[in-house]
Amino acid sequence: MRMFDAVAKNISFLLGGYWITIKLTMFALAGGISLGILVGLGRISKKKWVYYPVTFYVNLIRNIPLILVIFWFYFVMPIIVGRPLDPFPSAVISFIIFEATYFGEILRAGFQSVSKGQIDAGYSTGLNYIQTTRYILIPIAVRRMLPSMITQSIVTYQDTCLAFVIGLHEFVRRTTIVDNFEVRSIQLFGFVAILFLITCYISSVVSRRFEVKRERGY
Amino acid sequence: MIEIRDLSKWYGNFQVLDNINEEIKQGQTVVVCGPSGSGKSTLLRCINGLEPFQKGEIIVDGVSVSDRSTNLYKLRTEIGMVFQRFELYPHMTAMQNITLAPMKVRNKSKKEAEVKAMELLQRVGIPEKAHEYPANLSGGQQQRVAIARSLAMEPKIMMFDEPTSALDPEMIKEVLDVMIDLSKGGMTMIVVTHEMGFAREVADEIIFMDEGRIIERGTDISFFKNPKNPRTKNFLDKILL
Repeated sequence: MRMFDAVAKNISFLLGGYWITIKLTMFALAGGISLGILVGLGRISKKKWVYYPVTFYVNLIRNIPLILVIFWFYFVMPIIVGRPLDPFPSAVISFIIFEATYFGEILRAGFQSVSKGQIDAGYSTGLNYIQTTRYILIPIAVRRMLPSMITQSIVTYQDTCLAFVIGLHEFVRRTTIVDNFEVRSIQLFGFVAILFLITCYISSVVSRRFEVKRERGY
Repeated sequence: MIEIRDLSKWYGNFQVLDNINEEIKQGQTVVVCGPSGSGKSTLLRCINGLEPFQKGEIIVDGVSVSDRSTNLYKLRTEIGMVFQRFELYPHMTAMQNITLAPMKVRNKSKKEAEVKAMELLQRVGIPEKAHEYPANLSGGQQQRVAIARSLAMEPKIMMFDEPTSALDPEMIKEVLDVMIDLSKGGMTMIVVTHEMGFAREVADEIIFMDEGRIIERGTDISFFKNPKNPRTKNFLDKILL
């Protein structure tokens, strides 16, 4: 195993970093999709005091590079809350703020694809706004948008590497640390690439299966 | 059961409903016809509060629709509505489509709601389709599920908005039969339709609308043989052929 000797020697340290990457991804997706649903609903709202602030937020964040959102949040929040933040929660919150705008726009398209008649059908049986949204609007929109949402989730997973800029010891950061004393860049970063390649590929295969299902009409 | 007084509605400057007056008694079936854009659908949507209106009053079972203190959600449970394009929830089976509102609005148990749903599917003639998704049902079957979905709330009034217009000819009858059954069973019904055979068989009153106004009304189809209004005559000639 000369080919992967440096990886083998530091495997637990590296996989520890990978675990942080996974955790960051999970939190970012759970929060990003939840907040994204609200953002999507806000973007189709007829209430101006909902629509305009949400639209401003989406346009603001989507036009800033993710790395700057992570950076700014990490350095600005301590000034507001009066104490430094740990890199992990700081990264999680930055990702949620950023990803919610992307998931929000995907879901907005999904919400708009739901026929008004189906919503009216819900209302006409006595369901209220929350019930109609919860049982009709969101499930139909999410099913329709599942392929795009999986793609965005894969992007999020890959983007978690950017959290290294605030010193978070995720997968890539730890690999850099190992590389500093092992000096086996090709091998070490090759390992990182292979792991990302395999996991992303599996996810995209899953995504494609959902697309096929959608063509059958649920 | 339903009283409409001096109802007018505008979309911006465009008047869609112009001084509508109508009274529907319990157990009556009223058929509304008229060219597209004459305000028929809008009238139905005003009755269950899906559309606001600017002038006049609608009283449903003693409750004013436009009154701010009226609970529209509660009112709508009393008024079933069937749409031209069925509007079933595509991610739910026929059974789930029917049981959703009874479970969430009336807090019925799943079991109770399913027993009732099965009864209704039997009544509309497709109990074997209970666990099919809408995509696997024909138009006529979908519309019958939609009728069952409305009936599951045990409404006092049923409204139909061109329920057979999106159906192939051979499926129209299966839906009309269900509606005739309902009407003869004493349901109060407002039906927007151009099926004059249906009107002849069950309508207690037929209304003809044009440009937001009721321009002709009569209690049986023979009335339409000699319409007073030339606009009505022209329209009827086209649909009756």
